[in-house]
Amino acid sequence: MAGKELTLEELRARIAGAGVTIAEPRLGMVRKLLADALVHVRALDSRTIKTVEPAVRFEASHE
Amino acid sequence: MSDAIAYTTIRELGARYRTRELSPVEVTQALLARIAKLDPALHAFVTLTADRALSDARAAETALARGDARPLLGIPIAHKDIYCTRGIRTTGGSALLADWVPDEDATCVRRWQEAGVVLMGKLITHEFAFGIQFPGHRFPAARNPWNLDHVPGGSSSGSGAALAAGLVHGATGSDTGGSIRGPAAFCGIVGLKPTYGRSSRAGVLTLSWTLDHTGPMARTVEDCAYLMQPFAGHDPADPASSRAPVGDYVAALGCDVRGLKIGVPRNYFFDGVDAEIVQAFEEAMATLKRLGAEVRDVRIPTMDAAHSFLLILLAEAYAYHERDLREHPELYGEVLRERMMAGALVTAAEYTQAQRIRAQICAETAGVLREVDVLATPTTLKPATPFAVAHDPELGFPKSNMGPFNITGLPTLALPCGFSPTGLPLSLQLAGRPFEEEMVLRVGHAYEQATPWHTRRPAV
Repeated sequence: MAGKELTLEELRARIAGAGVTIAEPRLGMVRKLLADALVHVRALDSRTIKTVEPAVRFEASHE
Repeated sequence: MSDAIAYTTIRELGARYRTRELSPVEVTQALLARIAKLDPALHAFVTLTADRALSDARAAETALARGDARPLLGIPIAHKDIYCTRGIRTTGGSALLADWVPDEDATCVRRWQEAGVVLMGKLITHEFAFGIQFPGHRFPAARNPWNLDHVPGGSSSGSGAALAAGLVHGATGSDTGGSIRGPAAFCGIVGLKPTYGRSSRAGVLTLSWTLDHTGPMARTVEDCAYLMQPFAGHDPADPASSRAPVGDYVAALGCDVRGLKIGVPRNYFFDGVDAEIVQAFEEAMATLKRLGAEVRDVRIPTMDAAHSFLLILLAEAYAYHERDLREHPELYGEVLRERMMAGALVTAAEYTQAQRIRAQICAETAGVLREVDVLATPTTLKPATPFAVAHDPELGFPKSNMGPFNITGLPTLALPCGFSPTGLPLSLQLAGRPFEEEMVLRVGHAYEQATPWHTRRPAV
């Protein structure tokens, strides 16, 4: 499992895994963007938060 | 035409049409002249539809002569350039769609047209509603009429600039993380992000399916109410569209705020907010108390994790743009391209965890809204940013007070609540229960009528 910091090495691994190209001068920006967005997800104990169910809901009024 | 006419309200304009004091053709011609004079410095319009505007205005005159009393008849408006317009190019602010001419109108475009508006043209948007245009972009960025060196906010940048400069009387916006409310805040105008599902997104370019909203922008709360009315209602072409009953938004403005409970979530929404904005906000709460509302502090614990909504936005934006990003990366603006690519780096587990956080925020917010009628917060953390700051590619995506209401889908209004010492507008944000647009409009209107902020004009 990845550590709580998004390192440049991890970012490069993610880029390679996704098969996309990100210009070298923009790696810092992308790292910051993603790291800021990931802070709370990475701090999360996934066992303590609700599920997102129901994924499907049937309501007569919406039929 | 005097500034007074350019800035008159929709109700006043309609009344003057009906007494023949003004005609839609006169007003349209005068606004076209005003646009020709002011827009070269503002860059609010990406496409001006002068012939169409005059044709719409003549049709409105004919209808007025027949006694047609529709409130939006002959009202000059323009659309954010992510709303598809039949026969009129719709660029999305992007080189990728620079010459694209849709063959259908977006549902909201059609509904306003059926209400009798005059279409003045298309307003520049941040590229694909996400990326500010850097110098050298195919389309120049709109500028803030209050200070041309500052951004007008985005992504509905042209809508905010055009309204603040008195170029139109109403505009469409879209809001995925604050793109209606941010420009409203920075330009000193009013923007309504309706409940998710209340107004159709059919025919509007997608940024993020589960966060995208459409809505009106105007100079007063009442104008917003008039413009919202035709927007509301079920549209089978939008899978998220609701069949919930539609209220009478203008009628709701006649009610005062005595006895209403206003909750101020003290966690998250005040972190990093400039002192001048906090002061203007507290004065706004004092005004609402004087008007008879009860103001109390509330807490939404998981809101502190709200910034994780960016994972949802990035992943969904990448999913929508993936093919074009891979095949035509050169047609995306610098920085936006990499921002979009970042969505490819979000794992499925991270996207899912962000949705779980979202579900928890929705549940906690719904619980608080059982105790209070509306939530009030500052709309933005700072006044409008200088371009020099906004053009820093390292800026990232700062914490937002608006994203939480895209997460929750709640109806949310931004309206002026003061000015900074440097003369830039400050803004108050009001959010209500699902489908209670009337409530946020009612509270916003009561506050607006008790304060002078909506009457100030930039020196354009």
